[in-house]
Amino acid sequence: MFPTPIEKSSRTWQLSYQALLPAALVLWLLPLIAVAVFSIKPDADFTTGNYWGLPTSFEFVNNYGKVFFQSDMPRYLMNSVLITVPTMIGCVVLSSMTGFALGVYKFRSNIWIFFMFVAGNFVPFQILMVPVRDLTLDMGLYNTKTGLVFFHIAFQTGFCTLFMRNFIKALPFDLIEVARVEGVAEWKIFWHVVLPLMKPALAAMAVLIFTFIWNDYFWAVVLTQGAESQPVTAGITSFNAQYRAAYHLMSAGSIVAALPPVAMFFLMQKHFIAGLTLGAVK
Amino acid sequence: MFHKTKSVLATLAATAALTTGAFAGSHAKLSGDLVIFSDMSNPAPRAVMEGMVERFGEMHPDLNIELTVIDREAYKTQIRNFLTANAPDVANWYAANRMRPYVDAGLFEDISDVWEDPELADLASTKGAMTLDGKQWGVPYTYYQWGVYYRKDIYEELGLNEPATFEEMKSNCQTILDSGRKCYTIGTKFLWTAGGWFDYLNMRTNGYDYHAKLTGGEIPWTDEGVAKTFANWRELIDMGAFIDNHTAYSWQESLPFIVSGEAAAILKGNFAVPPLREAGLDDSKLDFYQFPSINPDVELAEDAPTDTFHIPSGAKNKEAAKAFLKFVVSAENQTLINNGDNLGQLPVNAKSSVDDDKFLKEGFEMLSSNSPGGVAQFFDRDAPAEMAKVAMEGFQEFMVKPDNLDKIIDRLDRAAQRIYK
Repeated sequence: MFPTPIEKSSRTWQLSYQALLPAALVLWLLPLIAVAVFSIKPDADFTTGNYWGLPTSFEFVNNYGKVFFQSDMPRYLMNSVLITVPTMIGCVVLSSMTGFALGVYKFRSNIWIFFMFVAGNFVPFQILMVPVRDLTLDMGLYNTKTGLVFFHIAFQTGFCTLFMRNFIKALPFDLIEVARVEGVAEWKIFWHVVLPLMKPALAAMAVLIFTFIWNDYFWAVVLTQGAESQPVTAGITSFNAQYRAAYHLMSAGSIVAALPPVAMFFLMQKHFIAGLTLGAVK
Repeated sequence: MFHKTKSVLATLAATAALTTGAFAGSHAKLSGDLVIFSDMSNPAPRAVMEGMVERFGEMHPDLNIELTVIDREAYKTQIRNFLTANAPDVANWYAANRMRPYVDAGLFEDISDVWEDPELADLASTKGAMTLDGKQWGVPYTYYQWGVYYRKDIYEELGLNEPATFEEMKSNCQTILDSGRKCYTIGTKFLWTAGGWFDYLNMRTNGYDYHAKLTGGEIPWTDEGVAKTFANWRELIDMGAFIDNHTAYSWQESLPFIVSGEAAAILKGNFAVPPLREAGLDDSKLDFYQFPSINPDVELAEDAPTDTFHIPSGAKNKEAAKAFLKFVVSAENQTLINNGDNLGQLPVNAKSSVDDDKFLKEGFEMLSSNSPGGVAQFFDRDAPAEMAKVAMEGFQEFMVKPDNLDKIIDRLDRAAQRIYK
């Protein structure tokens, strides 16, 4: 098996592995560590060039206090929640139904409809920038959270359908046949037979979509403008001042903005890994 | 004393009565919504903007003012969007050529009639910057000076004086270099800082009018005058006046060099002062001088970028918008919003008073009495955006590889022929 599991390698290699791993980890996390340290430094540390040293004064309360009480950060965070959660629910609901239809029913052009969903994933989303912006404008959804939610649901459903359809395809079809023989209505089969079996996939997908949407920057900048609708990823730039960037506040803001997806990852680690591999096997 | 105050009050009351009389018509009528989009997003300017809205709102209780503050950088991209799609009644922008794309596209309202108001006669110094095609397209609300901010303590240690000529500037620089320091810190990563050096060297070598014609596309980059400017610049570069590896730094990242004393000065706008003070350079260590004269035959001219308010042509409540613009430039409001607790910059109204700050006072003095040549906006506001980008890339390259000058000039000339066509 490649790579050889570490337990089976020689003792010296195991030791050097154990020694190198923390070093590599620190190196890899260095930018993140720098951001974390900067978030508790005073502004003057940037001007004096104290990038990597210890903070000259400990400004944790001050910086984070400013982020939470003197900026629009709480509002941006709330916007992020109001954009991410509806998108997550919308995607899961829609794609479990499309996945069911494409996975269970044999009809002509089934495969073509499925391909269309898949093909949607191959469209580089940047080229949609101008048409989508015009579309939301015409629909009166420009600069609203609703507009962003609709677009995200529409765009993410392609990936989710692929994911769901493959998962349902892998379920034992006999279960559905048996239910049909018993005369159970199709929507009841979906609700009582298939949906309970899909729970791991639903959880994995919800976690994935949450992180995708929370971390989205591109569409947040294209479709919204201002604190009333922008999510936190776009809101962090509001610490960019007219002449200079408030790096200490931006760092604190980034840490706050990064916490929900990180927390999500650690709490739902099992589902997250399942989500990344589920679609890949079939 | 008491009597004096009284008479002042009486005068004030009389003026107020007159002003109210003049504004009475608009006072009574202003109603509906006034939508303002602002890029004044950092804490101090934001408070200024909110304060102005509040005070204007108190003057016009029937008016419903909606203020949206957008991050300054994001605003630069969003303005194209909202001017066409979702136009507010008032929007922030910049003076001179920076407003040309929107003026040419018919997105900004011609407000020459506002400028005919006698009150605006006190804005004469910035009128030129607001004028395109003989009409005015907005009002200024603040500006600030550029110049050389230097380490007073280092100059004193080496026995140097503020230079008045290019020769003195170079001999000072040599002394500083001999003491193991660099003369100027600069961070050219985002290009525009090099534009500041070009502005000053070109205005001092060839004069304001020449500079305006060059950025306006009337003089080709292959002209002899440009070559002289670059030759002067090259003298400084060849001396090693600038810090090494400056292309790796943003302007903020170039500040540690002057704070630590590795470099003795920086050519910058007045916005560099607050971070330098925060970093420990008090008035005994930091001082300011006007960029010295190079060619004695040309008059001194300065860079003083001006920030502005405009009325988009798609605005719905233009009457209220014009009243707001007049309110913004009034002497009283100008004194208030530009003081040290607020913007900490220079008021645009000649009748306003300047805050009690060493650098603001020197700057105001310099701009009002020692800048006979004119006031430029800054390279990337005077030249069209596309030309500014190509040119500033050229300046950056020149500062690193001065031998490439011929190639750079050739490139700029070709770009100019395409852009100014």
